[in-house]
Amino acid sequence: MAGKVIFLALRTALAWTFIHAGVLKIWDFGHGQPATPDFVIAIQQYKLLPWPDLTVLLAVYLPWVEVFAGVGLFVRRVRLGAALTITALTMIFIGALASAWMRGLRIDCGCFGRDEVSTDYPTLLWRDAFILAAALFFLVRDARQGAEKDRPMFGERGRFTLP
Amino acid sequence: MIARALRQAVVLLALALLPAIVSGALQLGWKDNRPLAEGEVRAETVREWGDKVQWVDARSRDKFEAGHIKGAILLNEEEWNSLARAFINDWDPDRPVVVYCDGGSCELSHAVARRLREEFKIENVHVLKGGITAWPEK
Repeated sequence: MAGKVIFLALRTALAWTFIHAGVLKIWDFGHGQPATPDFVIAIQQYKLLPWPDLTVLLAVYLPWVEVFAGVGLFVRRVRLGAALTITALTMIFIGALASAWMRGLRIDCGCFGRDEVSTDYPTLLWRDAFILAAALFFLVRDARQGAEKDRPMFGERGRFTLP
Repeated sequence: MIARALRQAVVLLALALLPAIVSGALQLGWKDNRPLAEGEVRAETVREWGDKVQWVDARSRDKFEAGHIKGAILLNEEEWNSLARAFINDWDPDRPVVVYCDGGSCELSHAVARRLREEFKIENVHVLKGGITAWPEK
C-alpha cells in the first residue's frame, strides 16, 4: 500500500513537472501574454539548430508534447508511450544542456518559461538526471505491467498452457 | 512491448500537434497585432529612421557579447553607473535612442529607457517592440 502511494506521488510529480514546464512555455502568466517568442529565444541561445524556422516550429510544438506526455502518464492506454516520450525528451534536454556547458555558453535554461538567471548547469543536470531515472523507472514498470496483463491464458495457438 | 510504447508515443505526438498548430497560429499572430505600449516603437518605424539610430542593448553583458544588433552599445541596470557614463559621453542628441532586450516579456528595455528619460532627461528614447528578435539584422 505504502509502495503504491509512493509510486503515485512520484508519477504525479513527474507528470506535474512536464505539464508545468509545457504550460509556462505556452503562456507567460506573469505578463499575460504568449510565451512562445521567449521560448524561441531560449532555443536559439543553445545554438544547436541551424534553421530559424525549425526553431520556431519546435518552440510551438515542444511545449504541447510536454503537456500531453505529462497528462498521458495518467491515461492507462498511453502511459507507456508517455513514459517513453518523457524519457526521450529528458535525454535530449540533458544532451542540449551538456553541450551548452561544454561550449561555455552562459544562457537561460528556458526549462520553465522565461527566467533571467543564467543556467546553473550542474544543478540542472542533476535535476534532469533524477527526472530521467524516474521516467525510466515508469517506462520499465509500465512495460512489465502491460506484459503481465497481455500474457495469454492460452498458448500461442490457442492451446491451454499450464503455468 | 517496444512497438506498443512507440505506437503510444506516436499517438501522443499526433495529439499534441493539433493544439500546437492552433496555439502557434494564435500566439504568433496575436503578438503581431498587439498595440504598442507606451514608449514602444515598431521595427518598421525604426527602419525608416535609417542609420542615425543609436541602439542600446539592455541585456546582460554575457548576452551582449554573444550577439547584438550592429552598432548597439551595452547599457544595462546591472552595470548602470559605469555604462551610463560612457553612454552619455558618446550620446548625440540628434540621434533617436532605441533600447531593446530579449523580446517577448522582457522588461529590461523599458526600465533602461525610463532611467534615460528620468535621470538624463533624454526625450528621444524608444523601446523596440518585440526586442532583438524583431530586428533580423544582427
